[in-house]
Amino acid sequence: MASLGSFLLLAAFVVCSYAAVSAVVGARRGSRRLVESGVGAFYLVAALMSAASAVMINAFLTDDFSIKYVSHYSDSVQPLFYKITSYWGGLDGSIMFWVFLLSIFGSVAVYVNRERHRELIPYVVATISTVEMFFLYLMVVHKNPFTTYLTSAPQDGNGLNPLLQNYWMAIHPPSLYTGFVGMTIPFAFCIGALVTGHLDDSWLRAVRRWTMFSWLFLSFGLTLGMIWAYEVLGWGGYWGWDPVENAGLLPWFTATAFLHSVMVQERRSMLRVWNVTLVITTFFLTIFGTFMTRSGVVQSVHAFGDDPTLAKLFTIFMVVIVVFSFSLVIYRLPLLKARNELDSWASREAAFLVNNWVLLFSALFILFATMFPTLSEAVTGQRLTVAAPFFNRWMVPIGLILLLLTGIGPLLAWRKSTLTSIRDQFLWPGSAALATLALVVGLGVPVWASGLCFALCGFVTGTVVQEFWRGGNVRRRNTGTDILTAIIGLVGRNKRRYGGYIVHLGIVLICFGFAGNGSKKDQTIRLKLGQQATVGAYTVRNDGVRASDDGQKQMFTAKIAVFKGGNQIDTMYPGRSMFRKHEDEEARTDVAIRRTVAEDLYLVLPGDMDLGTQTISLQVVVNPLVDWIWFGFGVLAFGTGIALLPERALSFATAKLPAEAASAATVLTLVAALLVGGARPASAQMHVADPNAAMTPASTPLEQQMRTEIGCLCGGCAHEPLTTCTCGKAQEMRAQLHEQIAQGKNHDQIVEALIEEYGGQYFLTAPLDRGFNRLAWLVPYLAAGFGIVGLGFAAVKWSHRAPAKTEALPANDPAMEDRLDDELRSLD
Amino acid sequence: MSHRNIRIVVTALVLIGAFTGLLWSTLRTGTEYFKNVDEVLPQKAAWEGKTLQLHGYVVPGSMMRKPDSLEWRFKVQNDPPRGATAVSTNIVEASYTGVVPDTFKDEAEVVLHGQLTPTGFKSDNIVAKCPSKYEAKDKFEAKAGS
Repeated sequence: MASLGSFLLLAAFVVCSYAAVSAVVGARRGSRRLVESGVGAFYLVAALMSAASAVMINAFLTDDFSIKYVSHYSDSVQPLFYKITSYWGGLDGSIMFWVFLLSIFGSVAVYVNRERHRELIPYVVATISTVEMFFLYLMVVHKNPFTTYLTSAPQDGNGLNPLLQNYWMAIHPPSLYTGFVGMTIPFAFCIGALVTGHLDDSWLRAVRRWTMFSWLFLSFGLTLGMIWAYEVLGWGGYWGWDPVENAGLLPWFTATAFLHSVMVQERRSMLRVWNVTLVITTFFLTIFGTFMTRSGVVQSVHAFGDDPTLAKLFTIFMVVIVVFSFSLVIYRLPLLKARNELDSWASREAAFLVNNWVLLFSALFILFATMFPTLSEAVTGQRLTVAAPFFNRWMVPIGLILLLLTGIGPLLAWRKSTLTSIRDQFLWPGSAALATLALVVGLGVPVWASGLCFALCGFVTGTVVQEFWRGGNVRRRNTGTDILTAIIGLVGRNKRRYGGYIVHLGIVLICFGFAGNGSKKDQTIRLKLGQQATVGAYTVRNDGVRASDDGQKQMFTAKIAVFKGGNQIDTMYPGRSMFRKHEDEEARTDVAIRRTVAEDLYLVLPGDMDLGTQTISLQVVVNPLVDWIWFGFGVLAFGTGIALLPERALSFATAKLPAEAASAATVLTLVAALLVGGARPASAQMHVADPNAAMTPASTPLEQQMRTEIGCLCGGCAHEPLTTCTCGKAQEMRAQLHEQIAQGKNHDQIVEALIEEYGGQYFLTAPLDRGFNRLAWLVPYLAAGFGIVGLGFAAVKWSHRAPAKTEALPANDPAMEDRLDDELRSLD
Repeated sequence: MSHRNIRIVVTALVLIGAFTGLLWSTLRTGTEYFKNVDEVLPQKAAWEGKTLQLHGYVVPGSMMRKPDSLEWRFKVQNDPPRGATAVSTNIVEASYTGVVPDTFKDEAEVVLHGQLTPTGFKSDNIVAKCPSKYEAKDKFEAKAGS
């Protein structure tokens, strides 16, 4: 299988080179058939990469430890889910996953735009193929994920790093990669537009959605990373300005800038050079971020380690990108001339311009500070570093300025705002800001930045509400419907604008959560058995610590009674797990978090404990408003979703006639009713650590086995198996299982009974390996099938183009053949 | 050069100047020096009061803790305690209050964050790498190769 994988990668590389060359040659010679054969080859790469991915996943599922990559990142006892996610758990696989995503995205983008932007397509294909070629080259020559052991293979693998065996971490890399990889598409269209000189606004329309889509996933990836850091790393915070985190943030800033400045170009035909620059910079930063985290240039907790060869190859690639792209921009400068000038600083385009500068400055600043240790070592020979406080000193004011601009921009008119309109527009949002500020000062906030942030949150919220209200009222008068329908119609008619405002609301909530950091409390205390200590409003008491073992890991769990205002409000179980095969690494902290809307109580059990006397150290963190960050992301995603909706969505409310539009309120009521109805059972089962949920030992081996197979359904614990979950729901489910066992039922009977009870088998941690569920196991094979069908499809298409192909080959023949020979030789 | 261009250039210069000045002033207080023990010891007085990341190895048997507290005292030496250079002359006393990482043990490679004082290095954060890490890797390779 490993050789098949290597072959597929090699084939992808060869096909990719062909696609790039034939597309460009075809475009220059005006041969449509040559271009189309290039496009066909481009689709073929996606098929080949799907097949290679299927081979990789299959290797993980079948525990093929003869492949080094599999043996390093998986082992036989790892749950199915993590076996699949191990695909991108290491450097080699993540590069392969990158190419896989890029080939799929590229094919979709080319397919969708093949008619409308025909003249750009050859260069889009060539650009994406070149990027793919770079990564494929890395794999084929330097980091082949299918490398096998030359001698005998190990019996078992190392297993995925325990810190990564977490639900959030399993979906964090794919969403971040989706964001990163997606940014290649706008870049490719941009290069296409620059090369062909079709620099009107049409290429922007082709990439707007892609940028938004990638931006959404980038935001999602960053949020997941924060959740992971918060829940798993156990240092009490969610963002530490680590180089790897920064690498994800850099393109986020420039992409955000682009999403704003693109509106100025569409509306006023200004900032054209700037937009092109932003697209190129964003793409460059995605590559740079990958380089930074994978080559060992910057020291980081979760960088992939030193690799000078990789660093060299990446450096060459980045230099090529910069030189090539910006030469093109300079060459096309005459075509990129702005058609308008800035009329006034009190205009929306000016606000966008300032917002762009601040965003770009943020990106440059973070880049500088992240690279500072490396730079200072290169220049002065001394290694100097800057830490989180330095970042915060700069980024807090910058963030506040950005938040302010978020509120100001929409209030200003295009071209020029008159004094009257400014007074009229700023009245309510300004009052909202002042009211919040008064409230905050009245209540007393310890940190000025937090207070200011709250006031600005009030300001932006005021702006957004006013926009919806005024727009809605105008529409209501014009169409004669109720306000609700009018607002939905408003959103439907201008999804990007109003979706954007909802995104702004999400940003407000996220900033609201960040501001809570100002009154964070963090204390570490030493507690003997029965001793108690007070942190903030909470008093915690050490009720003992217990050791247990489940074969995969050894766990220590402390029982902490929590009091507030004299009453016991909760019992929490912070713990830590030492994984077998990872004993020499830091244990995984199993943080206990008590979430409320106002603040989280966050307990960490450090390894420094004395089991004999039951004395423990305990880190107690009170994190105000944290959960608003995650909620804010939800609002942001909703807003982006609206902005991404196709043209005709929400048409029921955009109709001009009131009779058609009247249903909006009804539909909305129905949806709301459904949501409330759906939410009720979920909220009734929140994950609450239960004092009575002490783990009773399993009575039979079957019970122990089934506890690992059944996941807790409380909905708050990432579906943990009953062996580890500590909430009341898990306790209830354990009791239920015990009852079934006591009735003398066997494994299958119990599963049947529980399926009946829960009305489905979602309670199982892994789907049953039978019947319909074989489908779940079939996924990799289906993907392989898909790849093969794709191959066949391409072959058929290809054969129709036979004359074109023979015409094409001489163009790249000698070099290609030589390279192929070389590659084949090194494969032997 | 037109009037407008002059205005743009002047604005840009002022902005760049302001940012550079700000950056410079914040960098002066924000930077931390990454140093090995033997780089710091010869000019102890010069380094006192500066924020350092001090790299070294925990001297075996030097770790002490005040009972029922989070106060630690230990010594850090420049060279790895194993092999020929087991006895190191470059040793600095260190103190720390707080939770130590699991990997903080005798011989562990550490990076201490803190400041040098006349009574020793006052640390507020410890990053430690377990000494057995390399062994584990060897073991795995041996197993793989056998």
